[in-house]
Amino acid sequence: MTQRANPLIHVLLLLTSLVCLIPFWLVLVVSLTEEKTLLRYGYSFWPKKFDLTAYLYLIQDATPIVRAYGVSIVVTVVGVIISLAITSMLAYSISRSDFPLKGIFTFYVFLTLLFSGGLLPWYLVYTRFLHVQDTLWALIIPGLLSGFNVLIMRTFFANSIPPSLIESSQIDGASELRIYFSMILPLSLPVMATIGLFVTISYWNEWFTSLVFINNQDLYTMQYLLNKTLLNIQFLAQVTSVAGGQITTRPPLESIRMAMAMIAICPMALVFPFLQKYFVKGLTIGAVKG
Amino acid sequence: MNSKKGLTVLLTTLLSSAIVFSGCSSNTTKSGSSSSESPKNTASSTAAAVKSDLKPYEVVMVYPDSTQRDLEKVQNAMNEYLKSTYPEMNMTVKLNPVDWGAWGDKTNLMFASGEKFDTIFTANWLGFESQVNKGALLPLDDLLKQYGPDIEKVEKDYHSGATRGGKIYGIHTHQELGGSQGIVVRKDLAEKYHFDLAALAKSRKMEDLEPMLKTIKENEPGITPMVGLPLPLEAYFKSGKMEMILDPVGLVRSNKDFKAVSYYDTDEYMNLARLTHSWFKQGYINKDASTSVQSNNDGWSKMKTGNAFAIAGADMEIVSDNSVPAPMPIRSKQVGMDLIQIPFNIDSLRTRKLADTTQAISKNSEDPARAMMLLNLFFKDAKLLSLFNYGIEGTHYVLKNGQVDLPEGKTTDNVGFYHDNQWQIGNQMLNYTRVGEDPKKYENYEKFNKDVAADPSIIFGFIFDSEPVKNELIAIENVRKTYDAGLNSGTLDPDVEVPKLTSKLKAAGIDKVVAEVQKQLDEWRKANGK
Repeated sequence: MTQRANPLIHVLLLLTSLVCLIPFWLVLVVSLTEEKTLLRYGYSFWPKKFDLTAYLYLIQDATPIVRAYGVSIVVTVVGVIISLAITSMLAYSISRSDFPLKGIFTFYVFLTLLFSGGLLPWYLVYTRFLHVQDTLWALIIPGLLSGFNVLIMRTFFANSIPPSLIESSQIDGASELRIYFSMILPLSLPVMATIGLFVTISYWNEWFTSLVFINNQDLYTMQYLLNKTLLNIQFLAQVTSVAGGQITTRPPLESIRMAMAMIAICPMALVFPFLQKYFVKGLTIGAVKG
Repeated sequence: MNSKKGLTVLLTTLLSSAIVFSGCSSNTTKSGSSSSESPKNTASSTAAAVKSDLKPYEVVMVYPDSTQRDLEKVQNAMNEYLKSTYPEMNMTVKLNPVDWGAWGDKTNLMFASGEKFDTIFTANWLGFESQVNKGALLPLDDLLKQYGPDIEKVEKDYHSGATRGGKIYGIHTHQELGGSQGIVVRKDLAEKYHFDLAALAKSRKMEDLEPMLKTIKENEPGITPMVGLPLPLEAYFKSGKMEMILDPVGLVRSNKDFKAVSYYDTDEYMNLARLTHSWFKQGYINKDASTSVQSNNDGWSKMKTGNAFAIAGADMEIVSDNSVPAPMPIRSKQVGMDLIQIPFNIDSLRTRKLADTTQAISKNSEDPARAMMLLNLFFKDAKLLSLFNYGIEGTHYVLKNGQVDLPEGKTTDNVGFYHDNQWQIGNQMLNYTRVGEDPKKYENYEKFNKDVAADPSIIFGFIFDSEPVKNELIAIENVRKTYDAGLNSGTLDPDVEVPKLTSKLKAAGIDKVVAEVQKQLDEWRKANGK
């Protein structure tokens, strides 16, 4: 049974992976097709006329992209480290059954999953209270804590770390901090990797915070740079008919947009396979009770 | 039991804290708005002493633009110039361009959060209406009187577009007062087949284009006779045959009876739609016209590939004589081949156009008087205007025979500052022209403006308040979205589809909109004695 899986499942999985891969392939091909051919014949699955102009163009004027890449990487790395630290601390605290305010904190975390303050209060907190606009913190802080991640971690701690382990450490004289750093963290690598990957992806894909908080182009993230070009095109397409052709801004060429997309995807496509082995383990242990 | 009690306590605290916080926030917004009002008073009191020294003030300018690498350099140059030329104003500017795509989100948040900024570009296609309704913009009448003499010199008669409730909320850029629409064809092919373009320009009938399309279709394999702009039929139709009040309701121009109708119900619309459809069926229009409209893969970029002949319903460039076929210098350069424009229609002076490009002053401004002084400078100081529009001479542009060109070896992408949106601010006629443009461009504009101003629309000055029919308009917009691309590109048969469309529009409440338009129009006529 385990050796020979159902062929139907194979076919299904094959189809699913195709559905995921085909758009990816199309983007790659379009990025490698000559612009005029694109205008004339539209997209195709095989380049009618192979052409590297888009990539050469991006390399030639690489400063904004390299910068955006750097910003994205810094934000992601710093964000993930801080995020894992505070997520696990909060999750660990509310996973301990002997923590008196456990219920209140759990409920508070849970509440954030159901209700949010809305866009304007969110914006006001960061700009008027924390004054982080136009700094890297504006990109890092908003993504630090997600209630969902806290709850997954809490379940993991509650289920896979026996309370007696903590108790025995306490008897041996370990302080709470010592227990946390020397016992809990090493034991929870799978869930840390899983949540780490979640957070990494969400940081890497985040563009809205840049849109709202960042004016300084040196602090644009990769995704925002990409999103910006796409949004601009969409917007201009909408308004040019109304504005009577007054807007002369040229939308960037189709193949360049696609080439940018390819470049933005790369790091995630590289990181994913290495973390994948933890992924399944951490998630199942975190999700299943018992 | 215990936990339940805890929950109640928690919820109570949460609720009460929520109430406290919301109370706080409304307080802060209140105090915010009052604090934004009080400087207005101080502004007008200091304004009395314009000649003496004003407190230094930074005017923050918000406008849509793509990212410019050398923004700061340009800003510094502007500030140096302001300091040396207008020391008595004691002001600096801060350029705060917002990306086109982020414009809506960002400006709404800026308004709502009470962030300090002074001037903002706005237009009826960028949410001017809702900004006025929200009270986000300051009324400008008094400020204009006091600090806007150079604005008034050229724009005094053209404030109606941005006037709401008897108050002016925006300052129209001094530029062309309308447009001109018609047909654009490729010069080489038109000459090859000896097309009589002058006759076409004289008759001004779309039908007369058909034989040319036929010739191209038969003799030039691989060349699409006509490619679609976004909404070719609509563009030409709305400017030429209708006085639009709000899409899709307007007055038919030929009967001057002030009777509002939906344009889908007019014969003029049906005739044009049938013609477009017959062209589509005969293969004169590109097969993907309905989708290319949506993807911005428009006629101009199709022209660029070299296998298209004509575009119908395009905006013409304003040249010295706008009634005869003429070369199209700017588009020709963009597309990379010689184009000829055949004008069919010149806009009449319309209220709507006057709210297409305006500068307003935000309620978050701490010194509206200084903001108005700056706006006024853009209507009088060509040097400041060039700095804002073209950047620094020698770095971002060079002058060749009095025309602007890119510095040697630079492209628009790597020059560092290529703002090039001269239509956004000030007196556009003060600008340089670009190499390739008619050096007399702005003289042509002035002449064109005389023609337009001499022919005001019969409803010039009328502004429709869409508030009472807001919901209907959204429903109508959704219906139109599903049909317009197909009908405008000729893909759909109007005799089959338009009846379906109109019945759906009826269900969406078009009759109510038409009635509301008629009602407001009648009131306006009574009040203005038309």
